[in-house]
Amino acid sequence: MTSTRRPTAFRLPETEDIELEPDLPEPPIVPTQPQPLGLARSFRWGSVLASAATSLILLWAGFALTGFIEDLFARSVVLGGVALSLAGLIALALLAILLREVIGLIRLNALGSIQDDAARAIAARDAVAAQQALRHLRRLYGRRPELAAALVDLDRHEHDIMDPADRIRIAERDIVSRLDETAGRIITRSSRRVTLTTAVMPAAALDILFVAAINLRMLRDLATLYGGRPGFIGTLRLARMVLSHLAVTGGLALTDNIVQHVLGRGLIGRLSARFGEGAVNGIMTARIGLAALDICRPLPFITRPKPGLAEFLQQVGDFSPEQKA
Amino acid sequence: MASTLIEEARVALGGIGDLFSGLVSPTVRLGVTGLSRSGKTVFITALIHNLLHGGRLPLFNAQAEGRIVRAYLEPQTHDDVPRFAYEDHVAALTGADRAWPQGTRRISELRLTVDYTARGLLARNTHGGQLHIDIVDYPGEWLLDLPLMSMTYEEWSQATLQQSRTGARLPLAGAFHAHLATLEPDTPASESTAQEAARLFTAYLADCRTDDVSLSSLPPGRFLMPGDLEGSPLLTFAPLEVAPGTAARRGSLHAMMQRRYDSYVAHVVRPFFYDHFARLDRQIVLADLLTALNAGPAAVSDLSAALSAVLACFRQGANSWSSVFTGRRIDRILFTATKADLLHHGSHDRLEAILRLVLERALKRVEFSGARLDVAALAAIRATREATVRQNGDILPCIVGTPEAGEVIGGELFDGETEAAIFPGDLPADPAQALDGSMAGTIRFVRFRPPKLSTLPLRTSPAFPHIRLDRALEFLLGDRFR
Repeated sequence: MTSTRRPTAFRLPETEDIELEPDLPEPPIVPTQPQPLGLARSFRWGSVLASAATSLILLWAGFALTGFIEDLFARSVVLGGVALSLAGLIALALLAILLREVIGLIRLNALGSIQDDAARAIAARDAVAAQQALRHLRRLYGRRPELAAALVDLDRHEHDIMDPADRIRIAERDIVSRLDETAGRIITRSSRRVTLTTAVMPAAALDILFVAAINLRMLRDLATLYGGRPGFIGTLRLARMVLSHLAVTGGLALTDNIVQHVLGRGLIGRLSARFGEGAVNGIMTARIGLAALDICRPLPFITRPKPGLAEFLQQVGDFSPEQKA
Repeated sequence: MASTLIEEARVALGGIGDLFSGLVSPTVRLGVTGLSRSGKTVFITALIHNLLHGGRLPLFNAQAEGRIVRAYLEPQTHDDVPRFAYEDHVAALTGADRAWPQGTRRISELRLTVDYTARGLLARNTHGGQLHIDIVDYPGEWLLDLPLMSMTYEEWSQATLQQSRTGARLPLAGAFHAHLATLEPDTPASESTAQEAARLFTAYLADCRTDDVSLSSLPPGRFLMPGDLEGSPLLTFAPLEVAPGTAARRGSLHAMMQRRYDSYVAHVVRPFFYDHFARLDRQIVLADLLTALNAGPAAVSDLSAALSAVLACFRQGANSWSSVFTGRRIDRILFTATKADLLHHGSHDRLEAILRLVLERALKRVEFSGARLDVAALAAIRATREATVRQNGDILPCIVGTPEAGEVIGGELFDGETEAAIFPGDLPADPAQALDGSMAGTIRFVRFRPPKLSTLPLRTSPAFPHIRLDRALEFLLGDRFR
């Protein structure tokens, strides 16, 4: 093949089989919108399930009550029809929930595959992997108004000549890192709540439940922020991933800041035993949040420094009126 | 040597001065290193143009994050050095008959000041986010003189003569060799003999760098680009058949040549180096590999030898607190293969691989010194676009642009007006082939005219297009914009 590929020139107007690099597109004007407060919830199929189920039980109760009196067979056609449709609704809601769980898992996997592609693009200078990672990223964030302008910018660089690792770097700097601040707020909020809850909870058994619930909600919020949308099963799976991640990196994080822990715990613990316990739980939550950040963030920290535990620690004990994330 | 010690002390003293002035007005000295015709002037012009006009530099973080408030050129600071003729170069590039700037004939410098939004607390409160970038432009030929600082006349003579008897140089050195054979080092000195020898030696050097030979290692540099030394006795010496270690007899030709060589090194080379290169902070090395590849393996290995010898003269390495007293070192070096727009970006990895091989010795040295280094294929001004052409069922990755008048490829002669898609050939997957001559005839890189700048009225940034200039900037200066 190489022997036939001699240096050649093609005069432009005459050459027909030529595909030119597209011109740089003019930057379109994208209206910037403020980020909506809180995370938008979709239509709640769960409540449909609950209400349909309860209404069916109620119906059954009413039916059982009146069943003796009225002729079951004479009315069976109508009642049977209503009961059937309600049962159908239950089935539909169940199906929808199931579907959402599956989609949640798929999106969680998509986050993982972006991470893999990005790692390959950086380590092996794989241009195809970089393209793929960016394509997935675009699909993941395509509908976020707060990222629209950055995505348009990213598209404008598509035809620039740059190395695969540099493409990933730009995406991380311009897109993913915009979400980091919110992620930080989610983690801070959760660990603050855990601290407070543990401190004021009267029964020890209860606070375990609350801490677990707050942590699961934090995981879910983080994953949703970075583009995963885990349902119940997805959140549990995420929790498992986070725990195994902690098992691997936990030791490192521990040695990292152990002095501060001991100091902080000692001081707060001396003031109040309950409060000391709360602080420890809060720190643990922040650590779980950091591990979740590693797992959910589609691109690694390249241009931004990776947040450390210390940044959250000072806020754990700060109970001034919190700003809603 | 005493003079070296004095100069080193000056460097160290200057370093201490820099420490204090750096607190209030931080300055970074960017060394643009490259042999003649490697694109130093174009690189400097493009860098300034892109910073002044807020060009598209997605990988240059400070610019991409919108932290650059403004950039402007400072009035010339040193009264004894001409200012870099930035405006003239831009005018030449963007004028009606777009042309590359003429070869640089003398030294010039420029200070570019960038106001930016500083992130760090210290930076905000000391200098408020301002960085001066000092750049020096000079004829690339002069750089070849730097290795002479550590050579005696006899050593230089031997090396030069040995080199002139090998490969592509031998046929070009005929007249010079013939005259050399008539010279007897021990005969009494005669001005006319010395002048004749210097003239023939200069002619030989000039022949060595024509396009089809494209040799690089041709010291002394002032012979080819005398600058303001034209006709000076400093330039009337030539190598003689003397073995290293032989003492010159008083009053002999040998003694005269030796004296002139020594004063050339002392009055021309040393000041050039210590005034402009001894206190660099960052360095970019521009290597015109493509022209060397065009000319063949001899030119490539010559480029390799020349650049390696030059780079060995710089102080590279990681800085520590004690560097203040010993003189700062260059702590980041970017090695670039310039004119990367002459081939499709699919081949850039291979071009970088060849550069890595060609500069292996210099790269190893830098790596060992602890300085950070990177290798990139770069086009400070991108003169071409990319395209693919289908031919006989094969898809050829091409580049499209206006070849300069007189360029020839595949029997086609260009007039400098026609636009054409060029397939320059495939670079070898194995970089070693660039040095062993097995790729003769498989590649041909054509020079293009500078690109037309888009003049759309709504276009916000009419800066020159480029390839990886932003990455180069980020690597070289990114950490100074914190």
